[in-house]
Amino acid sequence: MSVEDILAAESELTHLLGGQQAVVLSTRIRLARNLEGLPFPGWAKPPQRKETSDRCVAALEVLPKFRRGHVVRMGELGDRDRAVLVERHLVSKELAAGKSGAAVISRDQTVSVMVNEEDHLRIQVVKAGWHLRGTWHIAEQLDDALGGALKLAFSDRLGYLTACPTNVGTGLRASAMVHLPGLCLAGHMDKVTRALNQDGLAVRGWLGEGTEAAGNVFQISNQQTLGLSEDAILKHLGGWIKHVVEQEWNARRKLAQEEGEKFVDRLARSLGVLRSARLLTSSEAMNMLSHLRLACDMGCLPEERRHLVDRLMIEGQPAHVQARAGQELDSDGRDRRRATVVREALKDFPEVGPPTA
Amino acid sequence: MSKPIQCSLCEEAATVHLSQVVHGKVTKVHLCEACAQKGGATDPAVFQLADALAAATPAPTLTCPHCGYTDLDLRKRGRLGCPACWETFGEALDGLLLKVQHEPAHVGRAPAGVVPLAQLRRRLDAARLEMTAAVTGEDFEAAARLRDEIAALERQLAS
Repeated sequence: MSVEDILAAESELTHLLGGQQAVVLSTRIRLARNLEGLPFPGWAKPPQRKETSDRCVAALEVLPKFRRGHVVRMGELGDRDRAVLVERHLVSKELAAGKSGAAVISRDQTVSVMVNEEDHLRIQVVKAGWHLRGTWHIAEQLDDALGGALKLAFSDRLGYLTACPTNVGTGLRASAMVHLPGLCLAGHMDKVTRALNQDGLAVRGWLGEGTEAAGNVFQISNQQTLGLSEDAILKHLGGWIKHVVEQEWNARRKLAQEEGEKFVDRLARSLGVLRSARLLTSSEAMNMLSHLRLACDMGCLPEERRHLVDRLMIEGQPAHVQARAGQELDSDGRDRRRATVVREALKDFPEVGPPTA
Repeated sequence: MSKPIQCSLCEEAATVHLSQVVHGKVTKVHLCEACAQKGGATDPAVFQLADALAAATPAPTLTCPHCGYTDLDLRKRGRLGCPACWETFGEALDGLLLKVQHEPAHVGRAPAGVVPLAQLRRRLDAARLEMTAAVTGEDFEAAARLRDEIAALERQLAS
């Protein structure tokens, strides 16, 4: 089954080495598109949803981007496989909850197009690190290819027509997944969130809408999709992300300087716990892995270890733990299994030293 | 004499009038003899029925000819039924759009092969105003750039 292949593959977010990934874990572009003449999935009857799915999947499959990629149909997957896809951000919770949705995923898992989510098509492109223009460029090319193959719903006045008024126009949601332990520890996160909200940006947790910010990871995205060009939306987000990254570094340096040994102690303790715990809950693991990530960014641990921490953040989530174990596990079983995976992975990690960054 | 009150369930004249007060909210149900006996006038379910009737009273005033979605569906779900609904409910949506989007019109990409005429026209209007301002402000470099843009837009719109 395809989900096993997806788990086994070396993907953009789990295996990309090096690069500028401190603070910004990943950059994401989402485009909402619909076919002319068919009701939106939330109002369509089953045969219409099937028609949508057939037409969209047929148009997508043949694109070069999806060569040797995956087509996953929600109706054919078990609960755990669907949860794995959600945890990997390849499909949304909403798509995974229904039976008529499908997703076409590129081999390297940078591109995933959801079919029959709230809109007929949701193009998603994700790159590790901060690459707004590069990510946008891939989405733009894919959008052009799709626009050539399918008749998309478009109005001269309102742009791309979507099921929800919050997406109409460009249908563009650009976002950055940011790791902000410095601002969280310093107690500035509320202030930052308010400032971003006031300037039209949304701040969400790790798995998107309505999720909590485990491991100090937040998703920052534009809200307005109408009346601004794609370029203006990207510039606006880009300017703010640059600013947030600067603020985060200031907070980290200030903390490291003011707290001195206490700062290093906090990070070293997290490594200690992760290396010896026998039971680890998902949120505990996330919060301590966040400390390890901070340690890698600050030079307390070698920077080249950071990608392993990122991989553990993804693979320590409940469905991933169970998929790796190849069986359903109860809560204790998952915590035990998670602790084992993390312990093994961190076995030869060096000790946490003083910051150099 | 005023018109007799109609039964909430059928069209007969109501002879049984019930009032219920819950948390200061008054609900009234009017029933004809037959319905009162059938449903049991003391049955609390009658009041639930009255609630349901009250909620269902507003009839849809607009229905999308393409997908059958109504303005009531739109109000209830906050989503549209199909792409054509954007035309059907156009006016009703304008206020909502201004609230969630702050801008009323698209500025951005169009599918391959589609020339966004309205967008070009809006840009043409804006560019003409900008050029007048540039000339007044003696910014001739900007004025020249805008003149070229206006000429290009006019060519595009004419073709």
